[in-house]
Amino acid sequence: MPLNRKNKLLDLAAAKRRGPETRDWQVTQILPSIIDGLLIGFVYGVAAMGLTLIWGVMRVINLGHGATMALGMFCTYFLFSDLAVNPYLGILAVVVLSLLFGFIIYGVALQRVIQAGYLSTLLATFAVNMIIIGVGTALFTTSPRNIDFSAGSITLGPVILQGTRLLAALAAVVITGALYLFLYCTRPGKAIRAVSNNRAAAELMGIPSSYVLALAFGLGTMLAAVAGGLTSTFFPFTILSGATYQLKSFVICVLGGLGNPLGALLGGLFLGGLEGVIPTFMPVSWVPVVEFVLFVLVLVVKPTGLLGAK
Amino acid sequence: MNLLEVNDIASGYEGVQILWGVNLRLEKGKLTTLVGSNGVGKTTLLSTVMGLLRPWQGKVTFEGKDVTGLPAHGRAKAGMVLVPEGRQLFTEMTVLENLEMGAFSGRARASFNRNLDMVFELFPRLQERAKQKAGTLSGGEQQMVAVARGLMAEPEVLMLDELSLGLSPLLALTLFESLTQLKKTGLTMLLVEQNVSMALAVSDYAYVLAEGRVHLEGEARALMKNDEVRRTYLGI
Repeated sequence: MPLNRKNKLLDLAAAKRRGPETRDWQVTQILPSIIDGLLIGFVYGVAAMGLTLIWGVMRVINLGHGATMALGMFCTYFLFSDLAVNPYLGILAVVVLSLLFGFIIYGVALQRVIQAGYLSTLLATFAVNMIIIGVGTALFTTSPRNIDFSAGSITLGPVILQGTRLLAALAAVVITGALYLFLYCTRPGKAIRAVSNNRAAAELMGIPSSYVLALAFGLGTMLAAVAGGLTSTFFPFTILSGATYQLKSFVICVLGGLGNPLGALLGGLFLGGLEGVIPTFMPVSWVPVVEFVLFVLVLVVKPTGLLGAK
Repeated sequence: MNLLEVNDIASGYEGVQILWGVNLRLEKGKLTTLVGSNGVGKTTLLSTVMGLLRPWQGKVTFEGKDVTGLPAHGRAKAGMVLVPEGRQLFTEMTVLENLEMGAFSGRARASFNRNLDMVFELFPRLQERAKQKAGTLSGGEQQMVAVARGLMAEPEVLMLDELSLGLSPLLALTLFESLTQLKKTGLTMLLVEQNVSMALAVSDYAYVLAEGRVHLEGEARALMKNDEVRRTYLGI
């Protein structure tokens, strides 16, 4: 890999020397990276939607988000390696299991502290995070796992699209669409929006708000776990991998405006695209630096997010 | 027959007691008013009656059943509906969605279409605005949505907190007229108002709340002639 990049950089330097007439060639170098980044960005977006949904409805910052993603990865992995379940079917199982897991976490860890303010819920979800990571480390160790699954690839001119990434992006689009249909066209979905908008008024209208909060937390957990499952089809992972993705989700949520699911998807695409482009210009270790500089800039310039409310 | 009874309720916020043993009875089919100046505990009383606040003592009885331990959404399901002070709409949702949320409970859903026709007839303006976000409406229209949303819940008793607050006198009058229309349908209502003269004019029975206690009560018409009420609340 590093050799590859070094070559790429040398090529770029060469292209610069050769002048503008070779710009087309340079574009063909960057284009595949951008497309690759965007495809991964869809999955980042799904993860961030989970975080943003929980924040938007419950005003809870879920510090167990990353660990939940890691659980999604392991669930998909074990179904594939031990039971030979196709990872995409495995993700359907992840949907059900993570929804249940979310309900349980809500009932055990959050329901009793949800009225107690940000610090209490932050600590509660942090505790969930530590428990998952602790138990996960003990059971699975921290040696990296990898789902050895290929869904082929498609070649379009200079661009080679890997099947797993295409399918992941497709799944992300389907999930986003389903989430929107659920929130805008079904009764429980509308109840989620009502509780998110004004919890006391929702109670007065006969909406059992604590069930609705459990549902929102379940959905947010599910989105995180599914994003984890999709990620595991193309990146190696350990039980600790969630931490990186959790930070990315925070950056994306701030980009897209906290509490805005569509903003989360667009923010994910933006961050994914950025991650595709940056390595063609500078060493890959600079990616988080650029991301977090951007994060701070957005917080300074427009704290409600680029797509957030005024 | 009393639809709703409030017995010896004491309540407050975080150690500050606001209500000191309030008794209230709502007769079925009647419009009852609760008046009193700012800060005497009118909204606290409604919050306690609806179960948003836990009473420190006393009980609330609805249709002969003790509902003191029921959460707010359970009381709404039973037919106790509050149109809260400051409207408290779902501002990010459309007018129609607000009305749908009003009809969330099972019994209200069954008669959704009939009730929708009824509130659109009562407030024709809302039909024009059905697809608009509730937060973009004017103050008067928002108050109409709030009342309509309450009616969609198919209430046995409708409680209205500060219906006229922040509205022009003309709009307030329109809303009060819709109340008299509703009264004709036999709906039991509790009106909480600062606009005492208007409230007494449309009511059957009235309570005057002062310093967290019921200070006076009686037929609305009789209270309008009461010297103290005239001096303190009507400014005559």
